[in-house]
Amino acid sequence: MKEFQPSSPRSAPVKSVGLIAWLRDNLFSSIPNAVVTIAFISFLAYYIPLLIDWAFLSANFKGETEAACVNDGACWVFVNAWSYQFFYGTYPPEEVWRINLTIVLLILVIIGSFTLPKSIRLKTSIAAWLLLPVVGIALLDGRLLGLEMVSTDLWGGFSLNVFMATASIVVAFPFSFLWALGRRSDMPFIRSVSVTFIEFFRGVPVLSLFFMGSVMLPLFFAEGTNVDKLIRVWLVLIFFMSGYMAEVFRGGVQAVPKGQYEAADSIGLGYWQKIMLIILPQVIKISMPNILATFVMLFKNTTFLLIIGIPEVVQTLQTALSNSYWLGGHALEGYLFVFLVFWGSCFGMSLLASRIERTMNTDKRD
Amino acid sequence: MTAISSNSNTEDVIVIENLNKWYGNFHVLRDINLRVKKGERIVICGPSGSGKSTMIRCINRLEEFQEGSLVVDGVEMIEDVKNIETIRKDVGMVFQHFNLFPHLTILENLTLGPIWVQKKPKAEAEEIAMKYLERVKIPDQANKYPGQLSGGQQQRVAIARSLCMNPNIMLFDEPTSALDPEMIKEVLDVMIELAQEGMTMLCVTHEMGFAKKVADRVIFMDGGEIVEENEPEAFFSNPQVDRTQQFLEQILNH
Amino acid sequence: MFNEKTIEEVKSANRKASSDATSTAFYNNPRIRGLFYQVALVAGLLYFFVTVIGNTLDNMEATGIKTGFAFLDAAAGYDVLMSLISFESTDTYARIFVVGFLNTILVSVIGIFFATLFGFIFGVAYFSHNWLIRKLAVVYVEIFRNIPLLLQVFFWYFAVLSSLPSARQSLSLGEAVFLNVRGLYFPKLVGGDLAWVVWTVLALAIGGVFYLRRWAKKRQEITGEQFPVLKASLALIIFAPLMAAALTGFPFTVDYPALKGFNYFGGVTVIPELMALSIALSVYTGAFIAEAVRAGIQSIPRGQTEAARSLGLRENKIMSLIIVPQAMRVIVPLLNSEYQSLVKNSTLAAAIGYPDLFNVFVGTALNQTGQAIETIFMTIIVYFIVNMVISFLMNRFNSAVSLVSR
Ligand SMILES: Nc1ncnc2c1ncn2[C@@H]1O[C@H](COP(=O)(O)OP(=O)(O)OP(=O)(O)O)[C@@H](O)[C@H]1O
Ligand SMILES: [Mg+2]
Repeated sequence: MKEFQPSSPRSAPVKSVGLIAWLRDNLFSSIPNAVVTIAFISFLAYYIPLLIDWAFLSANFKGETEAACVNDGACWVFVNAWSYQFFYGTYPPEEVWRINLTIVLLILVIIGSFTLPKSIRLKTSIAAWLLLPVVGIALLDGRLLGLEMVSTDLWGGFSLNVFMATASIVVAFPFSFLWALGRRSDMPFIRSVSVTFIEFFRGVPVLSLFFMGSVMLPLFFAEGTNVDKLIRVWLVLIFFMSGYMAEVFRGGVQAVPKGQYEAADSIGLGYWQKIMLIILPQVIKISMPNILATFVMLFKNTTFLLIIGIPEVVQTLQTALSNSYWLGGHALEGYLFVFLVFWGSCFGMSLLASRIERTMNTDKRD
Repeated sequence: MTAISSNSNTEDVIVIENLNKWYGNFHVLRDINLRVKKGERIVICGPSGSGKSTMIRCINRLEEFQEGSLVVDGVEMIEDVKNIETIRKDVGMVFQHFNLFPHLTILENLTLGPIWVQKKPKAEAEEIAMKYLERVKIPDQANKYPGQLSGGQQQRVAIARSLCMNPNIMLFDEPTSALDPEMIKEVLDVMIELAQEGMTMLCVTHEMGFAKKVADRVIFMDGGEIVEENEPEAFFSNPQVDRTQQFLEQILNH
Repeated sequence: MFNEKTIEEVKSANRKASSDATSTAFYNNPRIRGLFYQVALVAGLLYFFVTVIGNTLDNMEATGIKTGFAFLDAAAGYDVLMSLISFESTDTYARIFVVGFLNTILVSVIGIFFATLFGFIFGVAYFSHNWLIRKLAVVYVEIFRNIPLLLQVFFWYFAVLSSLPSARQSLSLGEAVFLNVRGLYFPKLVGGDLAWVVWTVLALAIGGVFYLRRWAKKRQEITGEQFPVLKASLALIIFAPLMAAALTGFPFTVDYPALKGFNYFGGVTVIPELMALSIALSVYTGAFIAEAVRAGIQSIPRGQTEAARSLGLRENKIMSLIIVPQAMRVIVPLLNSEYQSLVKNSTLAAAIGYPDLFNVFVGTALNQTGQAIETIFMTIIVYFIVNMVISFLMNRFNSAVSLVSR
């Protein structure tokens, strides 16, 4: 019998591998393609140096005032001079450690909810998340902790966007889960109330909700009650968010296999035990990418607060742009900077969401 | 073994010479040489990853290759849209996962090619389609959608869909390996019938019964090469190469 | 050994035990529990609404805010920046409502049109053979969907459009289209006496296209021959009215915008507010639509294309007969929700002063009359209705594209 001798592989012809093949396949595969490539590259070759020159080479970095911007390029001095306001609004500088501490706590909680040992992760992180707004508000406001009070009028800047979004999603979380359960409930009244609630808050423009919060909500409280504007807006954001998150959770609840419910029933768990011990943990896991996506939407929408006069970061930027010492036209620099800040955070979260989704898909395969 | 009279026409309809193909730097097909006569039935087998699919997909240019030549029905496969079209009209292909069009009814799946490629009137296309549906024994399913059919039925529809184009050559890529055992037979029966009518067939399959029954030649591939080819009887009873024997032991004892 | 009988006995014993348990503890009966929850919810809601309505009435009385819709007939007393129907400041709030509504529809239609265009272009660009174009699509989507819409509106309005040259230094295209800091100006066709002939021919040509399609389909069914419907339709729509115009001696005058003093007059004017809002809405929503289109196309297994190829279908036919119909089933529901978001997001007009419904009504009218509840609810209802119409149309469209399935 003949013995099989596998022939040794030859390396591919040069024209089909390596850089040349890649260039041919991806950039010059046909004449129209080559034309597009060349046009595109010449476009980039023309504009990128201009951009680099504007943003870096002939940009102004040093200085405190507009007068320092002597070169033709970008006036980053403007961004620099206003950076405190962009991040902290008009919060008193000597108290700014409180904002920083709150942000550090937030970051710790985020890291904790992904890295704590699995056995204690869920409970600890739920507790930490629920505690976070309380601690945060106590710190920022100060009265509860015996610190000097900082009125909410002074809160502002990008940190306010972050706080409003986080505080809203945290409170909305349990509510939206209830709404989702309500929508799937067999009880007709509970179901229709849930559906109405969810569809209302998903169906109306966010801005109209903010107007409701700022002009209608005060009418709802008993005479003489004066509820802080930020709290009213917070309420609105919570409602808005729970409408959207309820739908996310509904998807998650539907994705939990029916066998899980049956298994839970078969070991004799009650309704709430079943929900809390078996369903909720799975729903949170399944819904994580969508929760993040909804959060990104909420986070972007916190900029809309500007329209009802809350000094979040875009409002701060507008104020800076119309400041009489900075009338030299720094809109481009200002917007680019805020773009970058938002883009960085939102893109980061999108990446995280798609990574979670990918690991979830691979989990499924095992 | 039932002897099937081989077509006496000795014209080569497929001529593959020194074909080499790489995926990136991975040498997937190595110096393939193969001639297929008109009416010949060829079964290709070999371990997973040996390049069987890649080879037959080269024949209707679902894959490109870098070296060597390939002539199908006298048309040389070169980088030319017209040539590729001519060859594709002439070569039918059946896939492991059927690949029926889920948004079209069975009848529409079958008439798609005749109407849009052969430019036949709708009535005529439907007539042809019904003829082939009858041949694969499911004329009653014509107005259903693929999702409503069993795997075996879907695969028979896929065969009928190819036949509607009146091809000279049929390629099968593991047509039964996504099917439950009881459905395999209904598909194989259709294929056997087709073989008996003299269709030129290249079939990647591990159904050795089928190979013994209809094949004129069995080809064994490993590592991107044709290791051994022979008439089925000799191939199974007296393999010439150790690797073939090893492979046969594995699948026959399985 | 269990036999069936014993199992049956065990089961019935269990059943009995559990029904005993529920009869002793009624609060464990799920039906009674359900009832209890529902009653509690009703009571809670009732309490909530009674308090809120009571408080609201008290508050309104205290501040002297009127209620009811009488204000709609009162003169608004303010002007709007742009109106599609005639409007003066002596007109009523009701009319300003209509003005705002039309402006909202205008910006939504423009936005939806361009968002769809951008979305499909960049969504398909994901699958380009050209690496640069693929990357361009990724960059477009990842940049624009991750930056808040409001920032984008401001960027276009304050950073781009407001840095355009003044009217005297307008950018111009063939001395017909002008772009400056005050807006975009382009010429308007003003029909003369015989213009109706041209319009009729255009209408006939559009009708003819439908007829042509039917005819071509019939002919293909009978003879198998294909007819280049797209090219023929385009030719019909373009050349038939041109011929008609030529025969009637071109019964149109073109009203070109012209510089008078410090600004352009005549032609059609697009104010910068409308431009900024439309650009931002289309670019932002376009990024989401591009994702939807990509998802739709990617949802189609490779095998579909391969099977179509092995039947000998050409690439353009594979696209129109196999890929598009299947992808649309994924894309259309996503489009539906993107269009609805776009309409809701058009309320950002308030940020730059484009007089859309929200801005003129919840912004100004509310401010002047103080009637928050009426103005806000009237406005919200309009958005609900518009979104219901979108949803209805898209669902119709969806069932039309998925009619071919099940
Ligand atoms: N698109 C591709 N890119 C890179 N490598 C590929 C690609 N398609 C196939 N291969 C590799 O080429 C080799 C041959 O694949 P092929 O599908 O032809 O094997 P096969 O003999 O049909 O195997 P099976 O019995 O599993 O279908 C495998 O090692 C496979 O991993
Ligand atoms: Mg294979």
